Amino acid sequence: MPSQDTIRFIPERCDGCGDCMTACAKAKGGASRISIVGSGGGGWDIALCRQCGDPKCVANCPAGALDKHYGSGIVGWSQDLCVDCHLCTIGCAYGGIVFESAAGHVQKCDLCDGTPACVPACGKGALEHLSAAARLHETHADKEDLFVPGLSACQGCNSELLIRHTMRRIGRNSVVAAPPGCIPGMGTVGYNGQTGAKMPIFHPLLTNTAAMLAGVKRQYERRGKDITVVALAGDGGAVDVGFQSLSGAAERGERILFICVDNEGYMNTGMQASGSTPFGSWTSTTPVGTVERGKSTDGKYLPQLMMGHGCAYVATASTAFLDDYHTKLEKALAASRTGFAYLHVHAPCPTGWRFPAAMTTEVCRRQVESNFVTLWEFTAEDGLRFTHAVDRPRPLSDYVGMIGKYKHLGNAEIERIQASVNRRVAFLKGFCRQPSAAE
Amino acid sequence: MNQHVNSSRMIVCDGNEAAARAVVLARPDVVSVFPITPQSSLVESLAQFVADGALGAELINAEGEHSVLSALQGACLAGARTYTATSGPGLAFMFEPYVRTPGLRLPMVVSLVTRDMLSPQCVWGGQQDAMTVRECGWIQIYCEDVQEVLDTVVMAFKLAEHKDVLLPVNVCHDGNYLSYGVSRVELPAAELVDQFLGQPEVNWHIALDPERPMSVDPLTGGTGPGGAASFVGYRKSQVRGMAAALEVFSDIHAEWGERFGRHWAPLVEEYRLEDADIAIITIGSMTGAGKDAVDAARDCGQKVGLIKVKTYRPFPREAMIAALGKVKAAGIVDRSVSFAWDCGPLHQDVMTALFASPLRLPLVGFIGGLAGADITATHFERVIAETTRAAGGNVPSSPVWLNEHD
Amino acid sequence: MTDTHAHYLIVGSSHAGREALAAIRMADPKGRLVMLSREGRMPYSPTILPYVASGRSQPDRVGLADAEWFTENAAELVLNAQVVAVDPAARAVRLADGRRWTYDKLLLATGAEPVVPPVKGLDRVRYHVLRTLDDALSIRERSTQARRAVVLGAGLVGMHAAETMAAAGLDVTMVEMRPHVLAEYFDPKASALIRQTFERHSVRMMMGRRLLWAMETVPGSCRLGLDDGTELEADLLLVAAGVRPAMAMLADSGITIDKGILVDDRMRTAAPGIWAAGDVAQARGFLTGVPVVNGTLPEAVEQGRIAGMDMASDPDLIPYGGGIPLNTYGFFGRHAMAVGTAAVPEGDGIETVTDEGNGQNGYCRIVLKDNRLIGLAAIDRVMDAGILWRLILRRTDLSPVRQQFLSHPLETARALMSRGWR
Repeated sequence: MPSQDTIRFIPERCDGCGDCMTACAKAKGGASRISIVGSGGGGWDIALCRQCGDPKCVANCPAGALDKHYGSGIVGWSQDLCVDCHLCTIGCAYGGIVFESAAGHVQKCDLCDGTPACVPACGKGALEHLSAAARLHETHADKEDLFVPGLSACQGCNSELLIRHTMRRIGRNSVVAAPPGCIPGMGTVGYNGQTGAKMPIFHPLLTNTAAMLAGVKRQYERRGKDITVVALAGDGGAVDVGFQSLSGAAERGERILFICVDNEGYMNTGMQASGSTPFGSWTSTTPVGTVERGKSTDGKYLPQLMMGHGCAYVATASTAFLDDYHTKLEKALAASRTGFAYLHVHAPCPTGWRFPAAMTTEVCRRQVESNFVTLWEFTAEDGLRFTHAVDRPRPLSDYVGMIGKYKHLGNAEIERIQASVNRRVAFLKGFCRQPSAAE
Repeated sequence: MNQHVNSSRMIVCDGNEAAARAVVLARPDVVSVFPITPQSSLVESLAQFVADGALGAELINAEGEHSVLSALQGACLAGARTYTATSGPGLAFMFEPYVRTPGLRLPMVVSLVTRDMLSPQCVWGGQQDAMTVRECGWIQIYCEDVQEVLDTVVMAFKLAEHKDVLLPVNVCHDGNYLSYGVSRVELPAAELVDQFLGQPEVNWHIALDPERPMSVDPLTGGTGPGGAASFVGYRKSQVRGMAAALEVFSDIHAEWGERFGRHWAPLVEEYRLEDADIAIITIGSMTGAGKDAVDAARDCGQKVGLIKVKTYRPFPREAMIAALGKVKAAGIVDRSVSFAWDCGPLHQDVMTALFASPLRLPLVGFIGGLAGADITATHFERVIAETTRAAGGNVPSSPVWLNEHD
Repeated sequence: MTDTHAHYLIVGSSHAGREALAAIRMADPKGRLVMLSREGRMPYSPTILPYVASGRSQPDRVGLADAEWFTENAAELVLNAQVVAVDPAARAVRLADGRRWTYDKLLLATGAEPVVPPVKGLDRVRYHVLRTLDDALSIRERSTQARRAVVLGAGLVGMHAAETMAAAGLDVTMVEMRPHVLAEYFDPKASALIRQTFERHSVRMMMGRRLLWAMETVPGSCRLGLDDGTELEADLLLVAAGVRPAMAMLADSGITIDKGILVDDRMRTAAPGIWAAGDVAQARGFLTGVPVVNGTLPEAVEQGRIAGMDMASDPDLIPYGGGIPLNTYGFFGRHAMAVGTAAVPEGDGIETVTDEGNGQNGYCRIVLKDNRLIGLAAIDRVMDAGILWRLILRRTDLSPVRQQFLSHPLETARALMSRGWR
């Protein structure tokens, strides 16, 4: 089933002005198909068609008047076929299809043929038209999935998503290194004579990924062959024992792409702390007891260190923003033809961080929306550029509160993390060519 | 480089340069380097050869020995003939990828410019570094002089890449005495060496190559289906490759002798052993002084011979037993220590070889030349005297430390 | 394996069967999947029939699933296959024409059939029922010649039919033995509002009357006698006096039946390898816990999906939450809806709040128990039936928003669900 456009509502930004409804009513004539409602306590909520993948309104229609267009993703309604039974409204749990007496029939959002009028009408940024998934699908769906089915990743792990997207893009003319950690642990390289990918892939040591890939690349360069050479490493293999070889390869400008998938610790071996583990985190080696309360120091911020290595390209990414990731992957691959490219992808770990498996993407999103994770790219020529600047960040507690590894923290500790997040953002802004580029 | 292509020529150089010149002749694809005393001038020479265009290899100036060997592993998996050199602490730092190389069956050649291990802090020769890694699955070869260094480094590529062997090779030459010892050597003609070595084919069994996609080194072993059998299969074939190296290396030496006129003993060299009562057993550059001492003793009517160990891993058990069968006692001179046995490692290997044969004879252990100390003819006179006494039944219970009072 | 053996055999081609088929294919792309339909036509919804009868819907445009859909789902549709017997021991069904199908897993989604009351003379006059597309076409054809129509029964089918016949210009009379229309969904006040609308559109509503006899006048037309002495003339008589589960094929099968086929929360019948869903099934009622036949389209969809998922061992299956009366109803351009026990009287811990909109502005009746919604009926009010259904099923505690909910049920319910989904 293809991915499709949707409209996202950010309640924190909504002030209930109703401009979206006015715009919809004007665009469509008659009643608005988007509805903003007070949620009590001053907040706002929404009723709007979600253009469901498996829409119950369609299943409930006896007349064939509703159907899901698998090209556009829109759940379409035909006035011609509708018999006004309104059974569709029983199927919808979102208030997305509603009988309007003035019109005399049901109405629903049709995304205005791809340019929804409500979104630009909102001056508060509370509505976003998310078309990235659909675009990505269009671009990448036909590419071969080079990753095996039946992996043994933990439920909710976003690494599989990341690996599939990455492998699809880089294709078979590539060599991939997966140093010890969750990525080979889920079967990426294979077990006992079985492979995990339809491309050349190997286990380097935890310590030497960048160096081994440099050797691979140099030999192909010597033979005049353009091979894409990529590391899919964890944070241990990048910020800790892997750092020396990473640093050396970056300094030498080895023409490789190093992707660090940062789950803030040694999750594959039982959730021990790494140099990337943030302050306050419970891990199995920074436990919470009567004397110690989780990790006592801040994590090492590797992407910032990589800026000092003369890399051709450095960027951070989040799987909640896959379009941003793909844009950076393209740039990184191009940069890896002339020098060292580094991508740092944040990978919240449901198992090790203790949050429900279904919440991974929401956790990723909140990391970004709270500025705990910043999305940016850096080149020596253009400096640092925020690719998803968050001007009105959520309070950090919105993010920390979701994560079990922080549940012992009090306000003082959360404030400390908030302060270090604020410092980091300010510090990164200093790398912008023009400070206004952060806007 | 102004080397004549079709004919050999004489040059004067030290052992480090000789090794570097051998590497030029072997035409590796990728050379990765990091300096360390007493190896540094070797990699400096390589870098210069690359800079001058004499060596058309990719040169990776890695940030440490760990990455040096790792980069070579990657290159080798992509089909490259590879080389590097290290020493002492550098070898220790390289250890993690080092122990992995034989299991991956990567046919690299790495010179060990031997050095004593810290601590006490020291920067001088001694074979403790190489001896420490003698059980890692690398083939280990020890050279006696500068010419042998040059010839052996070339031959080592042919040994490593042989399909019955397919293992990495350490060519060891002693720090200080061979690294810096200058001598007149014959440099073989490049074209002849090309004919001798042939085209490298180093990753036919395992490759990181989009034209031959495969998983390299997936997780193997455990109690899952076929895990144990699979792992045992790999290990056994690795042991077989090691055992095959003795015969393959002998053949390579024979061919070398035919092509270039220098006939080195591939495994152990027997020197004036035919009618000897006792033998001294040597390894590495000390052999020269040992042979001088044997000659001097012979001049005095003592029936003394010498057994030089060239191939140390795999240990040439049959050759050693054959040589020992000719004498009544032997004195073994180690340039390092086996801490477990209160003797030298070579001593320990000779004991093990003897036990596997019906032969029984007294062995005297000597430890000398640590941390750059010289083992002179005078030291060997003492070795001969103590070994002669042992042949008469007076065997010391612990090793004789030759430089103890130097 | 023979060519009349299916791994999944679905009997019935309406909503429950269709939804089950799709659910099976989501979990098992391969197992042979066959749907038996007693019809000679491609599947359609019984709910559409009044609209076909009125001419509003074209019979060739009401398909629930076409041949392409079956191909996409790697499923086979066998037409003219009326199952007359089920043999659970042999895992086989027998068809009316003697053919036999065997199965590994069987879904009975045979729906319901009209009940014709025992009225003197009725068997000797021409009357219509509305179960099949042919029935609908027959009514449609008769409508063009008829002037006077009588509809027996003021349930959903009868009301829809009466409205569409009135709209087509017929002189329509409804006869209902209960005092109110749609009494299972709406309280008397709401029912009265609906009834008055029909009366405004010149439909004669004879409530609380019983049909005693029928006799033919001229061929095709009849005279009808009611219990109050009234006599009616009809050129078109539609009997819409209720339905019952179509489960005659289970006689002698040993499968436990009550008012319908008894099923558990995974739509399993008492017989191994046999599921039932939709109007034929009798499943747990949400509010009472007692098994009920809840013959509505949304319930058929829900049950069909559960049955299909369970048949294909889909691990994502969430067992049935329980049946709730559900109805939305459009009539003469107006809109009525009822979710849950919206008609229940006050008392016994049940609170009701009624907003009659000054007689002008619609009607809304909210039924609460322990500050939880158990029913809501509305006429001419924008209301999200789907959201209310889920508020009931989740037993959402409305205490924190009680006043808002009672004054602004639409917005408050939307806000509650919007927050719940985030």
